[in-house]
Amino acid sequence: MKKLSLFGLGAGLIAALSFTPELAIADGHKMSTLETVKKRGHLRCQVGQPSPGFYNLKKDGTWVGSDVSVCRAVAAAIFGDPNKVEFQSVTSTVRFTALANGESDMLSRTATWTIFRDTQLGLNFTATNFYDGQGFIVRKDSGIKSAMELKGATVCVATGTTTELNLTDFSRMNNLDIQPVVFSDNNVRNESYLKGNCDAMTNDKSGLASSMAGFPDKSAHVILPETISKEPLAPAVRKGDDQWHDIVKWTVFALISAEELGITQANVDSMAKNPPNPEVARFLGVEKEMNKGLGLDKKWAHWIIKSVGNYGEIYEKYMGSGPEGIGIARKGSPNDLWTRGGLMYSPPFR
Amino acid sequence: MTDLAPDIGNRSKFTPKPDLPPPPNTTGVSGWLRYNLFNGVFNSILTALSIIAIFFMVKAFYEWAFVNAIWEASSRDECRISSTKIGTCWAGVNVWFTRFIYGRYADAEIWRINLAFIIFIIWMVPLWLPKITSKIFIGLSAVLIYPFLAGYMFLGGERGWFMEVMVALSLTCFLFVLIHSLLCLTTGLGLYGWIIKVSGFSKKNEHQHKYPVIGFTLLTVAVVAFLINDITFKYMSNNLWGGLFLTLVISGIAIASALPAGIILALGRRSKMAVIRVLCVAFIELFRSVPLITILFMATTMFPLFLPGGMVINKLASAIVAVCLFAAAYMAEVVRGGLQAIPKGQYEAAEAVGLTYWQATVLIVMPQALKFMIPNIVGNFMGLLKDTTLVSIIGLYDLLGMINAVSHDPKWIGLHHEPLFTAAVLFFIGCFAMSKYSQHLERSLGAGNNR
Repeated sequence: MKKLSLFGLGAGLIAALSFTPELAIADGHKMSTLETVKKRGHLRCQVGQPSPGFYNLKKDGTWVGSDVSVCRAVAAAIFGDPNKVEFQSVTSTVRFTALANGESDMLSRTATWTIFRDTQLGLNFTATNFYDGQGFIVRKDSGIKSAMELKGATVCVATGTTTELNLTDFSRMNNLDIQPVVFSDNNVRNESYLKGNCDAMTNDKSGLASSMAGFPDKSAHVILPETISKEPLAPAVRKGDDQWHDIVKWTVFALISAEELGITQANVDSMAKNPPNPEVARFLGVEKEMNKGLGLDKKWAHWIIKSVGNYGEIYEKYMGSGPEGIGIARKGSPNDLWTRGGLMYSPPFR
Repeated sequence: MTDLAPDIGNRSKFTPKPDLPPPPNTTGVSGWLRYNLFNGVFNSILTALSIIAIFFMVKAFYEWAFVNAIWEASSRDECRISSTKIGTCWAGVNVWFTRFIYGRYADAEIWRINLAFIIFIIWMVPLWLPKITSKIFIGLSAVLIYPFLAGYMFLGGERGWFMEVMVALSLTCFLFVLIHSLLCLTTGLGLYGWIIKVSGFSKKNEHQHKYPVIGFTLLTVAVVAFLINDITFKYMSNNLWGGLFLTLVISGIAIASALPAGIILALGRRSKMAVIRVLCVAFIELFRSVPLITILFMATTMFPLFLPGGMVINKLASAIVAVCLFAAAYMAEVVRGGLQAIPKGQYEAAEAVGLTYWQATVLIVMPQALKFMIPNIVGNFMGLLKDTTLVSIIGLYDLLGMINAVSHDPKWIGLHHEPLFTAAVLFFIGCFAMSKYSQHLERSLGAGNNR
């Protein structure tokens, strides 16, 4: 008896779900992404499956990380509220499809900016917010000081992305005859390396650093100086909406600019009251209004910094040595400001 | 004549002696051991080897799970037992356990999930109690009406007029089930009878009895709707649903819909009407021949591409529909197998006594066939419960999704053995309970065969 009627359970809950306001936003005329987001009341931002430092879940169930902060910064720029974001987390296989089909408004997830992706996948990259590159980690007692000494070595590597391809390219170019040992899961790859099944392990350097943070004997391992690939990671948006592209791009630039100008989460309010120089005044929307073309409030940059801090603060908190960070040194890396020898550079706000 | 008669009196009378006790080496513990474990040289060696193997495995597990275990810590680094070794870090599981169960649901709102779950249990309990009447109504309302209440409690937010009515109706049904059960247990008179008695309709014609009942129900729904009008729950987007809760929502709906949908498909496949048969065969073969993960990807990623621009379908809803369709296709073949086990004579006998097709199916064929199908059905349900972990690949954070998140939390980086073990235990509990319940069902439904 019970069984004959069970069908209703499914129908009922699906009916309950479909009566939610967020189910369908059907628009007759073509709305811009900004209009759609404003009408919906929150931003749909795509991150990846948890990756320490960039986007990971905390024990209270919230998303944190440097890429997550970009999502929150865009939400802050639009709504003045960094919590008006719905995070979507999909595998890297469907990340671009989920952007193309309108599921996500933007994508902020360790996606490498390449010409193929930028020109042929229907998406536009905005501005690089992290310069990564593939490297190697070895045990200190192996005595290896350079990747060129890895001749005939076995190297643990994860499948799925271009990591494996880069490794074989590097091996062939330098006649190193590296033997890749391939894993599908990062945790298993790390354990295999720790057990001594491989002489070295390769991944993006940020990934190596976060793996190393989980090793019991961190000081017994070292990341080799060579970087064998270029991985500029940048948020991306769908092609065809230049205003939306500008909003995301200039949000990233605002984070970098704020650091250049010395504006922090703590001092942004007092700086807005008494701008120390015209640049800061322009940036915070006190003097000239920089928001017109973006379609945002004139305090948009103020809201961003108030909500998530500047680039340096975000880096320190999630990528650097902060309590939640994964401990990647910024000094001397490409992710430092251009004024200190790095590559982080924002076009001027004027 | 007397010569031929057997001379009973002279025979020594048969006096039964008590049975000799069985040989001492075949009884008790030693006998059991001898018979089952040390029955011959070869088996004795096998037993000894097995005992040694089991001993080392248990010892290794004991050391892993208890001896080297750290129960209290705030990060994985604190789980160190030496400079080169990290002990079994149950502290990480402990800290994350709420997330395993409820996903990203806000802590302050978790009581809503718990309450909805408790309401469901209370709703179902009368089905197992004796003395309760109208079990059909209780079961039907639990699966048809309850989901609206649960759906609202999980989701929250503003209610439209439809949800307002359905939630009120749902609460009314729950109240009725409670009152009815209590009345049945105390007075033996159900709610229906009680209303008729109180309203004074008991002396009237039987077909007028429904009027006070309908009136009372409508009145209660109106009162409940008025009472809950101001109560709204905080909106919890289903983006925040996760953990075991999400696993149970998906697999629960799939399990609940699989059997009726499977029965309909199986009957359709055996139908004499060509169009229905072809449609059913096409559906079953299509969904059985494609892996579940492909169906999930199609439903959540590809399907929206074909929709008019800007239209977005809820991901959870499309994943649930995909899992349900998949489960229905598999269930259809299980049901067809059961139907084929019913001898043709049963159909012919049913026709002979003048039953229609549906009467014969519902009264004669299905009750017998379902009994045969129970092991397969439950096996399918268990498979379904475990298959739902695939939704973690399309970005829904079910139990496995939350488990995977632990090892990427910078505080617990690389911690994945302990959470996976926890997931294994939780799945074992769920599947084992289902398996035991199916054995109970087989026994109680198969009682007729043992007579």
